[in-house]
Amino acid sequence: MVGLSHGVLQEQGRRNSNVGAEILFTRPNNYGPGTSSVLSLPVQYSTKIAEVSGVAAVSPVGQYLKPSNQSFGMEMVEGIEMDSYQKVTSLKVTEGQPLVADDEVLVDPVYCRDKKVKLGDKIDLFGRSFRVAGVYQPEIGARIKIKLSVMQELLGSKERCSLIYVKCLATDPEEKVAENILAALPGNKILFTREIQGLYEKSLPVIDIFVNAVVVVALIISVLVIMLAMYTTITERTKEIGILKSLGASKFFIIAEIEKEALLISVLGVLLGYAVALTGRWLIIKNTSLIIDLEPKWLLYAAIVGLSSGLIGALYPALRVANQDPVKALSYE
Amino acid sequence: MKTILQTIDLKMTYVIGKVPVNALRGVNLNVNEGEFVAIMGPSGCGKSTMLHILGGMLKPTSGSVIIDGEDLAKMSDGDRTEVRRRKIGFVFQKFNLFPTLSAEGNISLAEKIRMNGNRKNDFARRTEILRLLNLESRLHHKPLELSGGEQQRVAIARALVGHPAIVLADEPTGNLDSENSQIVLKMLQELNSKFGQTIIMITHSPEASAVAQRVVNMRDGQIVN
Repeated sequence: MVGLSHGVLQEQGRRNSNVGAEILFTRPNNYGPGTSSVLSLPVQYSTKIAEVSGVAAVSPVGQYLKPSNQSFGMEMVEGIEMDSYQKVTSLKVTEGQPLVADDEVLVDPVYCRDKKVKLGDKIDLFGRSFRVAGVYQPEIGARIKIKLSVMQELLGSKERCSLIYVKCLATDPEEKVAENILAALPGNKILFTREIQGLYEKSLPVIDIFVNAVVVVALIISVLVIMLAMYTTITERTKEIGILKSLGASKFFIIAEIEKEALLISVLGVLLGYAVALTGRWLIIKNTSLIIDLEPKWLLYAAIVGLSSGLIGALYPALRVANQDPVKALSYE
Repeated sequence: MKTILQTIDLKMTYVIGKVPVNALRGVNLNVNEGEFVAIMGPSGCGKSTMLHILGGMLKPTSGSVIIDGEDLAKMSDGDRTEVRRRKIGFVFQKFNLFPTLSAEGNISLAEKIRMNGNRKNDFARRTEILRLLNLESRLHHKPLELSGGEQQRVAIARALVGHPAIVLADEPTGNLDSENSQIVLKMLQELNSKFGQTIIMITHSPEASAVAQRVVNMRDGQIVN
């Protein structure tokens, strides 16, 4: 869950900040993690922005978050004007051709790999069939791009877009250009693309509060389950503890042996957990549009929690059996 | 000959519910070093209670249990465990081997506990014991792959590692057929005669008690001869 929330947000933030344009112009509260993009911005604004001092080029973009074609997850589709988009971003069509016809899409290599699509294949979007016309690089914005005019038509939002990318003249500072744009179109929102990654990362603590709550509940349940399992296992072996006592094993020896066994089981459990997590990550990425980021920090936390809960969970039953009457322990059936 | 074990007015009272039950009513027993003693008596006469007290697994209500100069009755549980580790070897009726360990593993575990990491293993004695018990070819087998007689021989070998001053055997032939009983009894006798091993054996069987040098009869928590 941690990997999923972090992975999706960080990946989206990275792609959006790599776009190449310096400024992103949009409606207030219409951009960022957790917001659902709608086509609410008049495309005519791009003409006004293009006239602002210091602006080299502009490109209106539609963004629409839709359920993935696989049963789980969401995916973003961008509507772009091919010529203007290429002027403000670093997008290059590396295979096939740019968008020309209304039923064409561009995708990035990651989409091709994950969804196993190639040039000429058909993709269903908004209930219509689109043909993969080209593959673009680098990974910027949404992985699927269609013509903006087609998106407007499909969503019933003529002459509307979600945001406008702005490329500044090299001679003019971005901050000054941003001020000029807001002066020309007050009441709107300006974001510097270099700050987008940070914007997404800033949203992580908010998500982390929920994730941490889930992690704590999972942790408590895990420790209780481990304690119960160890308690049951050790209780079933009471007679063996009695034999150890008859051989002269001290309480310390018995506790140490049980803890060693618990540590071994916990290490195997952690390794198994890693294997399940990696397999789950691979399956989710393969079958959905979700990204899972298994951060080393969280893998370390998982190991610490797994090992310590195993050791602590075994300690109570170990202390209990180590203090048990050896005669009673030996007669346990 | 040196007295290796002495009990003086040994009493043990259990409270079952609210009723006190006198399991031992003043037992006085002396066992010399190298002696093979059989304790006989009917069920409920206090034989097993006495064996558990002699092995330091139970603390008597009153009286003394002096093993090689140390009074178990005055010791804490931890100290009695320490004496048991150094001086007592147990052989049980139901063998009580670890089912997941091989014969070798069972013996090595006892060795690990008894040696406590302080002393070197006595490989010569161990080899001789295994040869005497005819276990050399069965060491890598797990208990379930061994016959009852073989399991009991492994249990005897386990009891002998670490040079215990006394081996306490609780009905060692109680779960064996007569052929295996004879083999085990003969081996106990040989261990006693060859290594001078002190053995105290509880038994119901007159055939088993016949191999001992001395038979002690118990009745109603007391020694009657």
